[in-house]
Amino acid sequence: MERTLVTWLGFSLSERLSFVIKSGIFLSLCGATLFVALASSYPVVHDTLHNVRHALAVVPCH
Amino acid sequence: MSLRALFAAFCFSSVLLVGLPAGAEELNIYLKTSPALGLLRPFADPVNISLLVTHADGRPVEQGRVDIVLDAPKSGTFLSTDFPAVEGTRLLELVLPLRQGRAGWRYLFPIRGDYRLSVSVVAADGKAMAKTFIIPIRENRTKWLWLGLFCAGLFLFGFAAGRIFTVIPSSVTASWALVFLGAVSSVSGHDRPSTVENMERPSTALEIAAATVGKPTRLRYRAAEGSTATSLLSLSITHLEKHQTVFAIDNVPVEKDYQLDFHFPDGAEYRVNSIAQIPGQSPLRTEQLVAVTGVEPPMTAQIPALMFFLAVIALGLVAGRLSKSLAAR
Repeated sequence: MERTLVTWLGFSLSERLSFVIKSGIFLSLCGATLFVALASSYPVVHDTLHNVRHALAVVPCH
Repeated sequence: MSLRALFAAFCFSSVLLVGLPAGAEELNIYLKTSPALGLLRPFADPVNISLLVTHADGRPVEQGRVDIVLDAPKSGTFLSTDFPAVEGTRLLELVLPLRQGRAGWRYLFPIRGDYRLSVSVVAADGKAMAKTFIIPIRENRTKWLWLGLFCAGLFLFGFAAGRIFTVIPSSVTASWALVFLGAVSSVSGHDRPSTVENMERPSTALEIAAATVGKPTRLRYRAAEGSTATSLLSLSITHLEKHQTVFAIDNVPVEKDYQLDFHFPDGAEYRVNSIAQIPGQSPLRTEQLVAVTGVEPPMTAQIPALMFFLAVIALGLVAGRLSKSLAAR
């Protein structure tokens, strides 16, 4: 995928910058996933993961 | 004898004559819990709490009343408890009679932290005494274990991603986080979305105000009109989902009415039972179901936990990259 992007954009990134960008995207996805799983009030998610939230001791629930 | 020495002798005599009797008038208040204080855990088992009030010479105060106020631990740490709406709020406010110097009730502490139990005693002869106890509740060790395992999983997840990102990106997706979440704990349902509805309210002597998490709810028992006899009231509140008694008092003498403020800690269904024993009559039993309105935790309580978990993943990312770099050398 990275090679495709490099070909498409016409320039290459340094390995360090590439790592930072990929890590940023990765952490954003993880943050969104964690938010949905542990903080959202959507009933299906909340009811399914209610015990998980309480089991972790530091995740607030109602 | 100089005037100064005479004054000093007078002061000393005053202390002996006035101070010692005043000390003898003092009341002592003792707190006892079962299980013992160091063994209490949140939402584990209801705790038997008893107060013993004695005179200075150790004799129990025969009659009197105890005003009890229980306040929840204040929030203040970076990470909140699992019931942030309860933190720093008033949990219980009631008055109990002293019988042979004792008063007791059962209570289920909802969160970890240091609770403040303020006790104010007024004896039948008018003597008064107030004291505040700190009740420390430690978090359940199983929860810390789960949290540690969850963090270890997040760290390993970040570690793997860090190694992959350092060389060739892979098609790892964030769906792994959901897979891990599913494995952390057994999946089970929760109480349905709560409503303000108070179910099955028969024409009883027990009145319960609309219950909402975050503030105490008033429970009021009224003796039958025209009744002059003192009835003995037993009252219990049960968490229906957890099948646990969260509060109970036994055989409290009530003349006309009795009221207490109880803070329902979560948006679930509770059953409130009361039994009034009136001399010469059959016991009057009432039962009410209370659906407590839940309150969504504020973002200020949710964000720190999410930031903490993201920091663990980020730490794993850095560790993974370092391990890959060091291995390549």
